[in-house]
Amino acid sequence: MTEDPIPAIAAPSAPPGAGLLVLLAAMTPEPLEHVLASLTAAFPAEDMLIAMQNAPPADSYPSLRIVTAPAANPSWTLTAADFVNAYQLAEMNDSSAILMLGPSSSSLDSAALRDLASAVLTTSIDLAVPFYELPPRAGLVNSAILYPLTRALFASPVRFPLAVHLGLSRRMAQSLASSAHRFTASNQAEMPIWPVNEAMMAGFTVDQFEVGPHVQSQQTGLDLKTILPQVTGALFADIDAKAAFWQRFRPSPPTRHAVSKPTLQTPTVDAAAEIASMVYAFRLAYTNLQEVWSLVLPPSSLLALKRLSAIDSAAFRMSDSLWVRIVYDFLLAYRLRTINRGHLLGALIPLYLAWVASHINITASGTDPESHIEAVAAAFEADKTYLVSRWRWPDRFNP
Amino acid sequence: MQNILATMLQTDPYKTSQPLYAGNNSIWRTMSDALHESIYRVLSLLISILPGILAFLVALALLSLVGLALSALLRRVLAAAKFDDRLAHSRGNSGWALSTSPTALIVRAAFWACVLLGLIIGVSAFDASYATAAALPSSLLPYLARVVGAAFLLIAGNLSARFLARSVLIGAVNMQLQYARFLSLGIKWLVLVLTGAMVLDHLQIGGNVVALAFGILFGGIVLTLALAVGLGSRDLVSRSLESHAEHSSEQSAKSPAVPTTGPDESIHHF
Repeated sequence: MTEDPIPAIAAPSAPPGAGLLVLLAAMTPEPLEHVLASLTAAFPAEDMLIAMQNAPPADSYPSLRIVTAPAANPSWTLTAADFVNAYQLAEMNDSSAILMLGPSSSSLDSAALRDLASAVLTTSIDLAVPFYELPPRAGLVNSAILYPLTRALFASPVRFPLAVHLGLSRRMAQSLASSAHRFTASNQAEMPIWPVNEAMMAGFTVDQFEVGPHVQSQQTGLDLKTILPQVTGALFADIDAKAAFWQRFRPSPPTRHAVSKPTLQTPTVDAAAEIASMVYAFRLAYTNLQEVWSLVLPPSSLLALKRLSAIDSAAFRMSDSLWVRIVYDFLLAYRLRTINRGHLLGALIPLYLAWVASHINITASGTDPESHIEAVAAAFEADKTYLVSRWRWPDRFNP
Repeated sequence: MQNILATMLQTDPYKTSQPLYAGNNSIWRTMSDALHESIYRVLSLLISILPGILAFLVALALLSLVGLALSALLRRVLAAAKFDDRLAHSRGNSGWALSTSPTALIVRAAFWACVLLGLIIGVSAFDASYATAAALPSSLLPYLARVVGAAFLLIAGNLSARFLARSVLIGAVNMQLQYARFLSLGIKWLVLVLTGAMVLDHLQIGGNVVALAFGILFGGIVLTLALAVGLGSRDLVSRSLESHAEHSSEQSAKSPAVPTTGPDESIHHF
């Protein structure tokens, strides 16, 4: 008999038995009012318990049951502390399902909230993940790395594996809280958790629901140089920890068909300037970071990068196979600690910018953005054997 | 005058050979005595510390052998007990994030612990042996300790220099600074110069000259870097100011009442 790894917290003053627990991120009064109105429109107030950090006074919303959630540092994504808190509150209030709403949840309407919560309340789905409707040039870190890598290794069809709004069944919440507790116990409460990977490993049911457009909060000050290493490092660490699972063969999820129609989009002056800036960043990195890249990438990739650095920004194209090898080789270097992990993830940024420039050029030439992202994901799946081989025999297999 | 010089230069072998021979004999004897004494002192020192060196080597070899035997035994026991599988099961198959297995880690730790123990025992035996021979005049061994300390300083400084240089290089490249490599090299040499000065100071070589030379070199590198960054950043700052001014003017030109139409063309990484 092992001890429960989730430490107890003080019970909030709310009557038990709420079917749905809604855990809300801290937000200002205006968006809070909007979210609460959407929740009220989506669910009966008596079946719902809302927990949030800066809970308004009880008389502000007399029809709703609102309790104060344990304090957690504000973050642009859901963190380990959030998952631990969610499960503790669900246990205390005997909630059968949890709806976690991260920052900028005011962009979700009542139908989207209902879909996410109903899936885990009334069906056998354990994890309900939103499918955001994003502009063609948004969410590019997700499209370049997170989605294709998660899809290839964990056979998950979820388009946004690091979603900030989730519907969780009780057992899914327990599984996530157990994983998250390892981070909170080691003073890493702000680490992002990968619910889709956890669900796939535990054999739980996952589904995604269209929730409309998603507006990223402007207050968080997302900086690529900070966030990309943080997110990529967290995903690489999760992949490293679950190596025994993803190395086994699994059938790929069905290919998602693009919903938007391909249109010829000539880059605007601003977009062209941004592409030129990203290509310049890549060229500058090529002249300065060769000694770092040569420790991580094989000669064939370095040669391809050399050719790429000589191409004009308007005709800049990075092949999908090259991008796949770059990400896989960086993942292997992360695992083998070839160089300092902070340096490694910092050296990935210019290569990611090169992919973004290439992606925008490809979509500007008439290819549907989603089709290209699916093609990249397919390339990741096709080259998975390379990763598995080098993961198992890093010294013996180096083409 | 010429006669005087000729008289002075004229040598009489018979007259001068006798006292010179006596002087040479004395010098040779003194030198021989000094050499004998020196050889005797060094040999005495070596003989007195030889048991200590032998004890050090024997302790290290013996404990290394014990470590090898212990690690082999541990490997067999842990493999028989399926320790890795049990640990993975208890941690939910996802807790171990290192590339080496727990068994390999424990086995290595046991081996190196034995080697470390051997080193400690050997050094203490050597220390005791040296203490008995300390009466002999020698400043070599204390200086050897300084050399070891200096070697550690040199290694640590070199590693720090490489780490900092790479950090600066990657950071500067991601900030799109054209002089990223120059900046990185400057930081590397700053740390290396500092390390060199510390090493020489630790070895007590050079005295004030090292401190003075270090100050000049360090100041020179900092001044060079400051000038280079200042001159190199001139364009960067002017570009930044221009783009800021353009952005402000665009913002003021846009009417807040008119919503933007068409798809969002700007790039969002998240």
